[in-house]
Amino acid sequence: MSALQTFLLVVDHDKQEAKQIAERIAQDVESKKTTLIEVVQSLGEYINDEDPILRGKAVSYLTAVIKALPPKFLSRQQIQVLTTFFCDRIEDGGAVAGLETLQKLDRFNKPLAEEVAQAVFDRFQELQSRSQSQRFQVYQLLNEMMINHRAALHDMGDESLVGIVNLMTGEKDPRNLMLVFSILKVVMVEWDISNHAEALFDSVYNYFPITFRPPPNDPYGITAQDLKDRLQDCISANSLFAPHAVPSLLDKLDSTSPNVKKDALSALIACVKLYDPNTVSKYSITIWETLKFEILNAQEEFLSELSLLVLSSIAQRLSEGVTQVSDQLPLAVYLRPITKECNEQIREPQQKQAKPAQQILSSVSAASAASFTLIVQTVVAPLLTIYQEADGIAKQRALLDTLGVLFDSAIRVFGEWASRDPEPTLDNPLLEFKDQFSDIFGQALMGVIKEEFSFRTSALKGFLRLSTLRNYFQDNEIGLFVQYLDEILLKEESVGRDDLKKEAIAVLTEISKYKPRLILDITFPAFVATLPDSGDGPDSGYISTLESLAQISVEKDVFETLVRRLLSKLSILLQKEEPGSVAYPRAILSTILYAMNQRKLDQDPNLELYYDKIVVGLCRSAAAAASGKATNNILNDATVLDVLGRLCNVIVKSLPKSKQEEVAWNTLSLFASKDGFQEVTLASSPSDNHRRTMILSTYLAASLPRDLKNDSPCTPNSPALISKVLTHITALCISETEPATQLALLRYLALWVNKSLEKEHLELATAILDSLLSPDVQDPKLSPSQIKTIFWLSKGLVLRLSPKTTQILTTLLKLLSSTDEETSTTAARGFALLLRDDEVLSTANFANIRLLSKQRVFTTLIPLISSRIRKVNITGTSTATPTPPHIKPSHLTALSGILSTISPTLVTPELPTLLPLLLQSLDLQTAPSQPIRAATLETLAVIIRDNGVSVIEECGHVQSLVTRLLKTAEHAPASGAINGPRLRVDALKCLFLLAQTPASSSDAPAIAKAGKLSPLLPVKYQVLRALRTVLDDPKRDVRKAAVDARGAWLRGVDDAPDEQDE
Amino acid sequence: MDSAMQNSNPTILNIADLPTRLRPASSRKSGTYRGGILALTLSSLADPTDLALSPYGSEESDDDTGLMEEPIDEQEIYDLVSTISDPEHPISLGALAVVSLPDISIRPTLPEVPSSLLRTVTVLITPTITHCSLATVIGLGVRVRLEQSLPPRFRVDVRIKEGTHSTADEVNKQLADKERVAAALENGTLMGVIAKMLETCQ
Repeated sequence: MSALQTFLLVVDHDKQEAKQIAERIAQDVESKKTTLIEVVQSLGEYINDEDPILRGKAVSYLTAVIKALPPKFLSRQQIQVLTTFFCDRIEDGGAVAGLETLQKLDRFNKPLAEEVAQAVFDRFQELQSRSQSQRFQVYQLLNEMMINHRAALHDMGDESLVGIVNLMTGEKDPRNLMLVFSILKVVMVEWDISNHAEALFDSVYNYFPITFRPPPNDPYGITAQDLKDRLQDCISANSLFAPHAVPSLLDKLDSTSPNVKKDALSALIACVKLYDPNTVSKYSITIWETLKFEILNAQEEFLSELSLLVLSSIAQRLSEGVTQVSDQLPLAVYLRPITKECNEQIREPQQKQAKPAQQILSSVSAASAASFTLIVQTVVAPLLTIYQEADGIAKQRALLDTLGVLFDSAIRVFGEWASRDPEPTLDNPLLEFKDQFSDIFGQALMGVIKEEFSFRTSALKGFLRLSTLRNYFQDNEIGLFVQYLDEILLKEESVGRDDLKKEAIAVLTEISKYKPRLILDITFPAFVATLPDSGDGPDSGYISTLESLAQISVEKDVFETLVRRLLSKLSILLQKEEPGSVAYPRAILSTILYAMNQRKLDQDPNLELYYDKIVVGLCRSAAAAASGKATNNILNDATVLDVLGRLCNVIVKSLPKSKQEEVAWNTLSLFASKDGFQEVTLASSPSDNHRRTMILSTYLAASLPRDLKNDSPCTPNSPALISKVLTHITALCISETEPATQLALLRYLALWVNKSLEKEHLELATAILDSLLSPDVQDPKLSPSQIKTIFWLSKGLVLRLSPKTTQILTTLLKLLSSTDEETSTTAARGFALLLRDDEVLSTANFANIRLLSKQRVFTTLIPLISSRIRKVNITGTSTATPTPPHIKPSHLTALSGILSTISPTLVTPELPTLLPLLLQSLDLQTAPSQPIRAATLETLAVIIRDNGVSVIEECGHVQSLVTRLLKTAEHAPASGAINGPRLRVDALKCLFLLAQTPASSSDAPAIAKAGKLSPLLPVKYQVLRALRTVLDDPKRDVRKAAVDARGAWLRGVDDAPDEQDE
Repeated sequence: MDSAMQNSNPTILNIADLPTRLRPASSRKSGTYRGGILALTLSSLADPTDLALSPYGSEESDDDTGLMEEPIDEQEIYDLVSTISDPEHPISLGALAVVSLPDISIRPTLPEVPSSLLRTVTVLITPTITHCSLATVIGLGVRVRLEQSLPPRFRVDVRIKEGTHSTADEVNKQLADKERVAAALENGTLMGVIAKMLETCQ
């Protein structure tokens, strides 16, 4: 059997083998064992066969052989012969592929390319009727020729144009269309299409709008958007299309489908951007007349946005090369009807269509400086006249807002503050109105009735925009504005929501970033002058002044001035014998702290100064005060020390290592000289004032990084010494009576155990814990102070997952079962403390908090608690060994405490176990159980919000949950149940979420959902009935929540479909 | 549903100027020291982990014992209905001034029985134009909203404000007729429109 015969046999089922046969023959040809002529001749009998399939196979054989030949092998003559051969037989399968191979060869030339193109165009009807994949080959061939032999096709001119159009007419396959569109685009852009513009346009526009939806698992991955993009490229390819494209696209806006309108508008934008400006100008007014309605009577927001984009694109195109504005410009002609329409609409600025008119002005005026100038020339003067004649403040306000829109455009065109972009060559047309604006906005802000806050706020915003606008207001003009703002903040009473003041502060903050001098020269003196020398008397007006100062001090110089001024105020206060209330110095420190937190301190050049003055200086003063050497007691106050401590914490964290080491040495001694001040941990019986300095020490200790080289006396490293100091601090914690000091000591202890203690010394800490609460203890009985210390110590250890974590946790659990009610209930609340984010013991303060610690606590404790509750439930019914009544609530409290600190993602998988427990906690009806129930409701709310009702349904608890929620939402003092208003609101929120969250938001397909009834349906009427009573709750917030919940159930829970309908 | 809008360019009030209680509670007390920015810095001093029994929610008076009377008043009714959307525009009835605070009143239903808790809420509606055929739909929407959101002891009376509509009497008759209201609510299309109006309720 000859190679050809074998090929013909296998080609259908074994492509690989067929290819190998062809390659073998190609090698033979190459090595001259046979000749190409012989190969062609061997086709003889098959090539004229009646059966087109057989003919096709024979031609593919030749193609396969050629494909396997090296690219330079064929001579020009051979190529020519083969090309002619293939062209003759182009309707036979395989020929097109053969031609595609040939045209890639170097020796394939222009006349041949023309021959091939001619052959394709001549037989287009036959080729069109081929299968989709064979048509694809034809387009592929053409596309390749466009790449390799474009000149040949181009020179054919109209012939190739018409040929391609004929060939692709009727094409429907998306993959083929992708190719067709890209071939056509080349023709549209590069050919002279003047004779056939309409035919060419129609050939692509027939496909508009594209409604293709890719089949599932589409192997080619072509999306509707891909097709839309290519089609749009074609439509916008040539200005000659404009007479056809623009009217047709505008017609499509009559469509009822928003998607079609969207495609039409997007295409229009592309056309406007690519057609030449003269063409755009010709159609600009037609487009405006049509789009006007889309914007003024907007159906869909996105359609109006796209329409606005068309309008501004036109303005942009028409502004190209415009250096001077005049009435004759095409741009001016285009803008005339627009400004006319808008002027009419904004005449009544409160009416609905004023808003879209504003939007039109906004987007068109922002298109270019020329456009802005033309619009300002026609719009501003009439606006100002209307403003003067306006009969009401509401109207005036709406007009100010309209001006504000223009100011925004001005900023976009001319830039803001000191932006570096090149300035437009045109002058800002608003300059002409500068004095008028200044008057109008100044009067609106300061002149009218002070109560018109929203009006004044509009004026304020307008003023800010004008100040922001580049090269508009002079510094002294902005200064005047700053004075107005100072006046508002300092002189006016706070009323209502205070939006005006908030806005004023925001504006001053903004100005302070760009014009710090104005703030320093005008605002600072005015504000600081109002600060009193002491905080005596009932007047606490200084607070709002300080708040304002804190917020506007964002810029470096302003911030530095703020700190200096305030520190000098503070030092005067510290010298006074009768300084008045401590609230004032505390507020001063808080102000510095707030401003400092707003800034990146580690890059501040004045950091060193802040360290010396605040950390070293004030800590030293505090130490002196603790030893009774101060003139007053400001620095003995716990709240003042607390703020100072945080301030130090912030500063120290930004310090370089060397300075931090200095701090490490002084955390307890507070930079005081040895003889004057003894460290709290060393003193034999420190006074209250003395112990209170631990607040500072704790913040300082918290601020130091874990890896700091630390051999200071505060952190000893010999086991005996560690043990001794730990024991001492623990004792201090337990005996401390002042809450603030105790908290500081507890945090100090936890911090030390958590971040400073080396791993090998951990057992020293565990030993201390054991001494407080032995793992073997039965029925412990401890004081609240002891329990607190135990939990803080445990917190420090558990967060770093110390080796004994599990043992510690199980031991803590024993506290709950204590027969002593106080021990049990106090410990129950302690569990919330274990994992709760603490402000001081936090990662920001370099605490060692392992990621898995939460999970560990959760998985260790939850099974134990739940089995314990189950046991209590059972023994509760039998009378053999009565469990004290506080045991169950204690366990539920502990549970809710843990849950409140755990992320819902951990909780959800355990829901089947947890839900019964949570429901039991809702059954508690007493006043002390309110925090537990609140925590439970919060947990439930998060679970429901994230997962919908389905998780509850899966556990089979919908009915019992809903019943309990309704009971908690009830205000029924007669029944003895105590549900505070907040609890009622929380319960209602859960009910709201149940109905609001889609029943199966997860990946359940819509089909599976359809026909399935909501799991809430069985309880719907129970809920609606019960909520009707809640609507009469005495508290307004509860009623509001009930209205929302009831609305959600009415809307969200569908009834069963009527039987009769089917 | 209808081809042409009845009133395509109505006057709109600025939402910020409408009377309402529906504002985030926090903004109400700013400016005072409690809610101000400096207060943030004082929070931690009270031990957040205090294990002693603290009164739940001590910040606000959270008990019913002090019972500041908070009866349902006109403002509350206004807040219930002012956020309903107009069926023609995506704008609220409050902003269109279709409902306004002075046009809402709450009176005892049985003034001769002082102990009776029954109350009648009257809401007067001002259509944007006098021949608005949608006035009935708006009235119905307001009615549905109130009936869904008020306790059973409230009677709802929704009417067109005198002199603001050409066929006010007819519309009022329709709105007051229980049978007709009930029949209207059985109508799927109409309920669809009303459900859409109520979607924006806050």
